[in-house]
Amino acid sequence: MRRFTLIALVLSLGALAHAQDDKSKFKARYDANAGDKKFDPHDLSGIWTLTKNDHSLGTPAPPLTPAGEAARAGRVVDTGAANGNAPWYTCNPMGFPRLMNDDEPMEFITLPNRVLQVFQWEHRIRMLWMDGRALPSGENLENLGPAWYGHSVAKWNGNTLVVNTVGLDERAWLDNAGNPKSFHARIEETWRRVDSNTLELQLTLHDPEYYTAPYVGSKKIYKRMPADATTYFGWYGLFAGITEGICAPMNEVDVYNKFRDAGRAQPSGR
Amino acid sequence: MKKLLTLAVLMALASPATVPLYAHHGRGATYDMKKQVTLKGTVSRVEWRNPHVLIYMDVKGPDGTLVTWGFENAGVSQLAQEGYNRNTLKVGQEITAIVNPAANGAPTAIVVKVILADGKEIMSRDAGQNPVN
Repeated sequence: MRRFTLIALVLSLGALAHAQDDKSKFKARYDANAGDKKFDPHDLSGIWTLTKNDHSLGTPAPPLTPAGEAARAGRVVDTGAANGNAPWYTCNPMGFPRLMNDDEPMEFITLPNRVLQVFQWEHRIRMLWMDGRALPSGENLENLGPAWYGHSVAKWNGNTLVVNTVGLDERAWLDNAGNPKSFHARIEETWRRVDSNTLELQLTLHDPEYYTAPYVGSKKIYKRMPADATTYFGWYGLFAGITEGICAPMNEVDVYNKFRDAGRAQPSGR
Repeated sequence: MKKLLTLAVLMALASPATVPLYAHHGRGATYDMKKQVTLKGTVSRVEWRNPHVLIYMDVKGPDGTLVTWGFENAGVSQLAQEGYNRNTLKVGQEITAIVNPAANGAPTAIVVKVILADGKEIMSRDAGQNPVN
């Protein structure tokens, strides 16, 4: 088990080493927003994109407990030679927080009693309830059961939006290193709009069942994308918005994966 | 144990900078990213779909045999954000495609760039405008 932990740690570090600022194609466009000085720190509305892709919490994971090691067993991570067996390769949901750490844009929509997040990839909605409801716990949480994106409540603490999420489905990987999270885990995320153009996000996973310490993620930066950087199926600048990044098995599994595997030097891990 | 760790370190560091290894759709050793081939022919089919647009073209070999090649591109959203749409390439259109070919010799590939009859380069990974992840 220690061997797997060490190898997972090394692979995680490799993933971090390859975290790329590959949003440079939008940089000029989102930098163009920088002159817009007026903003309401409690208004997160807009379409946002991470400035780096790393598909993880951005820091090395603390050591797993024996139960965490058992939960991680059987997860095969990607290597330079072959794909692993991450659930998303067959269009299963990435789940929270993995989808949050993905490559494609995300839109915040602010409503009176909740904030919605719409993710381009998966075309997924996440609801952050702000109507005063309590975070599910105890028997209520057990009755609600697991959800790919969990159950989330949010509130403002000054100019920081604090979101807590529980009840996550254990089958979704935490990150590309295949790290686990238990159903009883709680993830706290904080959002801060530091200027009109920039959001800061920080995630902490509290999961004593699977981790020997809280997993504190790094600070991540999202930049606001202007309308002409988002476009729907080629209506360039005319029909801007989050696009339909649905992972459809009849596209992904039946067509794309077969196309890709036809040229593969070594068989896939799936 | 030491060998396993060394292997893990090498695997972690081996991914090329231009094609993110940790992306939606891992490719592993699907394509020979150090090799480029030039395909001249006509577009025979465009599958404008996620997760990756697939473009097929008929290419006549030196012996006159017609081979249908398919090459993958970025996803619909990424191509749309670059201003391309499902009618940018039409069936029957003559194009030149520079591609990284399949590692095992199959007539499949991943785009480097497409050159139109008038010399215009589009969908170019060379220009850093086409993250095919």
